[in-house]
Amino acid sequence: MSLVSRLPLRARVMAWFSLVSLVVAGALAVATWHLSTGYMLGQRERSAIAQANGNARLVEAQLRRNPDGLAELMTGLGAEVESAVLLVDDGDWISGGNRVDPLRLPAAFLDTVRGGQGAHQRTVLDGVPVLAVGLPLPDQSATYVEVSPMRELDRTFRFLSWLLVAGAVVSALAGALLGRWAATHALRPLRRVTAAAAEAARGDLAVRLPATGDPDLVPLAEAFNDTAERLQQRVARDTRFAGDVSHELRSPLTTMLNAMAVLYRRREELPAGSRQAVELLDTDLRRFRRMVDDLLEISRPDQDRSTFELVDLAGLVLAVTEHHAALSPEVLDVAAHPWITGDRRRLERVVVNLVDNATRHGKGLVRLGITSRDGRARIEVDDAGSGVPAPDRERVFERFSRGSPADREATDSGAGLGLALVTQHVRGHDGRAWVEERPGGGARFVVELPEVAE
Amino acid sequence: MTTLLLVEDDARIREALHLAMADEGYHVLEAATGEAALERLAQDGHEPDVVLLDLMLPGMDGLEVCARIRERGDLPIIMVTARTGPNEVIAGLEAGADDYVTKPVDAGELGARIRALLRRVRTGDPDVPPVVEFGDLTVRVTEGRVLRGGEEIALTKTEFRLLCALALARGAVVTREQLLERVWEYGYFGDTRLLDVHVRRLRRKIEPDPGQPTHVVTVRGVGYRAGTP
Repeated sequence: MSLVSRLPLRARVMAWFSLVSLVVAGALAVATWHLSTGYMLGQRERSAIAQANGNARLVEAQLRRNPDGLAELMTGLGAEVESAVLLVDDGDWISGGNRVDPLRLPAAFLDTVRGGQGAHQRTVLDGVPVLAVGLPLPDQSATYVEVSPMRELDRTFRFLSWLLVAGAVVSALAGALLGRWAATHALRPLRRVTAAAAEAARGDLAVRLPATGDPDLVPLAEAFNDTAERLQQRVARDTRFAGDVSHELRSPLTTMLNAMAVLYRRREELPAGSRQAVELLDTDLRRFRRMVDDLLEISRPDQDRSTFELVDLAGLVLAVTEHHAALSPEVLDVAAHPWITGDRRRLERVVVNLVDNATRHGKGLVRLGITSRDGRARIEVDDAGSGVPAPDRERVFERFSRGSPADREATDSGAGLGLALVTQHVRGHDGRAWVEERPGGGARFVVELPEVAE
Repeated sequence: MTTLLLVEDDARIREALHLAMADEGYHVLEAATGEAALERLAQDGHEPDVVLLDLMLPGMDGLEVCARIRERGDLPIIMVTARTGPNEVIAGLEAGADDYVTKPVDAGELGARIRALLRRVRTGDPDVPPVVEFGDLTVRVTEGRVLRGGEEIALTKTEFRLLCALALARGAVVTREQLLERVWEYGYFGDTRLLDVHVRRLRRKIEPDPGQPTHVVTVRGVGYRAGTP
């Protein structure tokens, strides 16, 4: 049971279908075998007995009239029935046709016949199945025995048995095939649910199962769609809340930033302690501002594609590098010039965030590559850090997930939204972002976007 | 001294921005509502050089104020958007704003935007000719005027700089990044909507048929170039 339950569902369905058809076909085969062999044997025996009776009467008459012609009659009878014919008379015996030693016939059978009772028995002589019919001739105190081979019947039985076994095997195979088809067919909606669930897990909560007319599947589809709907609403609510909060934060933040700008300008005029406090405040106020900016950006449900245009990805990356202090042209590795459609600002943001991430958490950028394969453009950002351990590779793209506590100590640490924004923007472009191991150590952040066919 | 008209309803923000901008060397005028701003502009006397206009205003809407100021002339407008709707920026630019900043605004960033906006076309540059022919238009680069058959076409300063950037390239393609940099002095993160709306505005003013532009020709996926009608 445990082995069976460990098998995949489809294999189990196949096994059950196969087993059931094997049992049904087997039972039918056994019944057919018994009925037909019983019937044919019975027929054969009856005809053999009737023939033996007739022949016995002939032999008896011959004995009575002229015992000398007996040998000739016996030979004639033997040829006629294609079997051995014996006349046993007090230990002596005369045979016609094939010579058969009467002693090789079962003793109990001979004894029964000699005891004055007719009998018949199936047995095997020289590897040939035979039917022996014995009739006592009480008037002549002799016994007449006819041994007829059943080669034809045996062949028929052998053929029948092969046929029935083959039939059972074929029906078991057909059962397995039917089971496979049925399982595949029955599991198809399940596969659709699996695909939808996987899509939802990847972050597309707008996924829904199509309406189905099958009453067995309606509850499943409804439950799934309901769950997805509620999840989507909740995520939207949370996002909206974060957006609202950051929105409200902007007014006091504007006041603070500008008041701080005045103070910061005059920091040289301040006593040392106050100056330090102002510098500290200024740094964190900038960080606060970045966080609010990032939060606002990430909480915007940016499904707007009106700003999408044809973009030369390599050109865009080049433009970003020209304006980014942390980038030297040597790290650029432009292997292709793919064109994509997208929002230039958001794509620039993706590149900058990945580069910032490499600088902040990856001990510096070592390569910024543009490649293209199978109609998909790629941006690859390689860093010199120790790489991202496999269990953390999804987590780093989540909101507010950050590197080690040591990274967090850094004054220029980001808000923890950089990579989450990358994911969001890339997804908005029907692309994918992930991190893998860079050949030679370090992390490689990859962004894959659908290329525009030339 | 550059004078800035600050239109903002939040008193604390107004005060802080006033302080910071004054510290950067600007003369700051304040208005709490759109109506007050228009009134201020209608008065004779000290005309501001730039208007910083919050789009979210009580009473008269920021977009309306923007359009009214544009009706009066080419006074440069920088709008402050709250980034609530995706079309807010486009609506503001269509209403006539020259540039935009997003809240939270800081004085340093604002100063950079204002300086970029007020900078004239490189007049001292010997490479720049004083007059360029652009189709049937005569662009008087140093004077900041455009004429068609002796008749002047009224352009805002930003529209004029965009026209010059295209005209001075003499038919060569100018990429979007180059335009954003030359006209608005944006590095990266320049918003192409800024460029697209300005191109639309410019076409409405100089093209005989804005639906079939012959002066400012789009080069798909790259940028624009001056056409030869």
